[in-house]
Amino acid sequence: MAITTASALHSENVNVWFGERHVLKDVSLTFPSNQVTALIGPSGCGKSTFLRTLNRMHELIPGAGFGGRVLLDGDDIYGDGVDPVNVRIKIGMVFQKPNPFPTMTIRDNVLSGLKLSGRKTNDADELVETSLRRASIWNEVRDRLNDPALSLSGGQQQRLCIARSLAMDPQVLLMDEPCSALDPGSTRRIEETIVELSESMTIVIVTHNMQQAQRVADQTAFFLATDGNPGHVVEFGATEDIFERPRDSRTNDYVNGHFG
Amino acid sequence: MSDIANATSTRQPASPDLSPVARPANAEPWKRKDRAQVVGVSLSAILPALFTWFFGSTLALDATVAVVAIFLPLQLVASAAMGIRIFGRRGIAESLLITATVLLSLMVSVLLLSVLWSVISAGAQTISWTFLGQNNVYISPTTSLEYGGVGHSIIGTLLIVGLTTLVTVPFGIAIAVYLTETRGKARGAIRVLIQAMSGLPSVVAGLFVYSALIATGITQYAGWAGSLALLPLMLPTVARIAEEALRLVPAEYRNGALALGAPAYRAFLQVTLPAAKTGIITAVLLGIARIIGETAPLLLTTFAANNTSFNLFSGSMSSLPTYLYQYISNGNDTSTQRAWGAALVVLILVGILFTTARVFGRAKKTTSKSLTKAKSPRKAN
Repeated sequence: MAITTASALHSENVNVWFGERHVLKDVSLTFPSNQVTALIGPSGCGKSTFLRTLNRMHELIPGAGFGGRVLLDGDDIYGDGVDPVNVRIKIGMVFQKPNPFPTMTIRDNVLSGLKLSGRKTNDADELVETSLRRASIWNEVRDRLNDPALSLSGGQQQRLCIARSLAMDPQVLLMDEPCSALDPGSTRRIEETIVELSESMTIVIVTHNMQQAQRVADQTAFFLATDGNPGHVVEFGATEDIFERPRDSRTNDYVNGHFG
Repeated sequence: MSDIANATSTRQPASPDLSPVARPANAEPWKRKDRAQVVGVSLSAILPALFTWFFGSTLALDATVAVVAIFLPLQLVASAAMGIRIFGRRGIAESLLITATVLLSLMVSVLLLSVLWSVISAGAQTISWTFLGQNNVYISPTTSLEYGGVGHSIIGTLLIVGLTTLVTVPFGIAIAVYLTETRGKARGAIRVLIQAMSGLPSVVAGLFVYSALIATGITQYAGWAGSLALLPLMLPTVARIAEEALRLVPAEYRNGALALGAPAYRAFLQVTLPAAKTGIITAVLLGIARIIGETAPLLLTTFAANNTSFNLFSGSMSSLPTYLYQYISNGNDTSTQRAWGAALVVLILVGILFTTARVFGRAKKTTSKSLTKAKSPRKAN
């Protein structure tokens, strides 16, 4: 499997509404290729919502509204005639709760993306092994590829979901609190995986864990929503700067655990 | 990491015996029971009934009087006494509730079993391979039971119900998909319609098809007209149970598929539908069970026949319910016997369907159970 080059992602003035409620205002962020970006902020500040706008999963929520542009290598993924299905093939997503397909085996789960998008592969076995290796779960499941996916532990299920996304060879990988349901050991392995993966793709990760953001992210964006106002980005920059030399006092309070 | 591991291992003095031990027989302390309590509860359950039987038979009391005047007061006192002995004061309410529940469910079971028993005991004498295999040609109401049977009616029922199922299931599943997978504007209206439809009296469905197709001369009595009349009766059952089954599939699976770049129809066909498969099979089987015994719509649309017919598209056709109706209204003994036999055959068919539905339903539960077990093998219960 040839590893395609990663792509850069930009958001320009992204606004989000749920019904009449404005929940996210003017988010403009740049995600350079092969970099890991962490989105942090208290619950309800709109960071998961923002993440979902990046591969058009957002529009599946009833009542959702969107304004602005999201550019993948310069092309607007919300442009006229762009099929959201093609966007989601290029921009993969891993969810908070592990969600391997319950009726499929481990192997079928890895290949599910291809089947679901109606594509073929020349060497399925090869793809299964590469994907599982990249998600660093191959050694644990190599002898039980035909077991049901739900027989794995929670941490293994999550890494299987990552492998499932990787099999599609995405240019960007979005992760929505991928470790929040996992134990410290599984968390560490997924963090190592993230760092390795950033060599071949651009990664955006939502996390509530400050240490995690510091361990994996090159740059960090701090989201905040106050008193019924829509969420917005308070501060965006290199992870070091955000955590050690924050310019905004609210960022300082949040990263040092004074609120949120 | 390795430093820490070494440190802990050196700190341990002698290695204790860590090998697993066989599970002892009394590993369930929560099931331990006081012997006196068991005896007491048994006595309080048996004595009132014994007294009632004894006094009822010696005094030659009417059964109702015996139950109301002897059994109920005695049982009340016995249950309350045992309740107080075991739980203290709160035991009165507890034991009386338990007694009431047991009594009421016994009554319902007796009702149901007596229906089953009367059909089985009366029908069993009729049923034979001849009865199951032969048709009704040359049979008069007084012909002995050695000749003739419901073979043609079984074929008719299977064909008519089969055609209905073939047509209804795609519609029913399509409705369920529309209600759960889309955001169509007509969902509310359709849900109301389906609910109203499930209250439709079956004779009305038959009458509608009769007046629309048969009275107007568009067709004679025919099997397909019967299938058409059964359709509105089966559709709501299939649609509602299939909707429940689809709704139970967690949204995460669907989102996972969409996030991999699946078009909505593939996400449905390859992820949601397989996950809901057992539920949908149950929906179909219960839908069939709903219509297999319908009589009124078939009387009006397929009528009854004595000969075996495989042709759904012209000529009247026999089915089990109409066969039953035909013979029960004759009024002599062999005819009544035949009607009981047909009733038993319908009952057996419904029984097979419900059992299959239950087995499918349970197959789902056991897999999820075995999966949780695999996850936490140490959990004994």
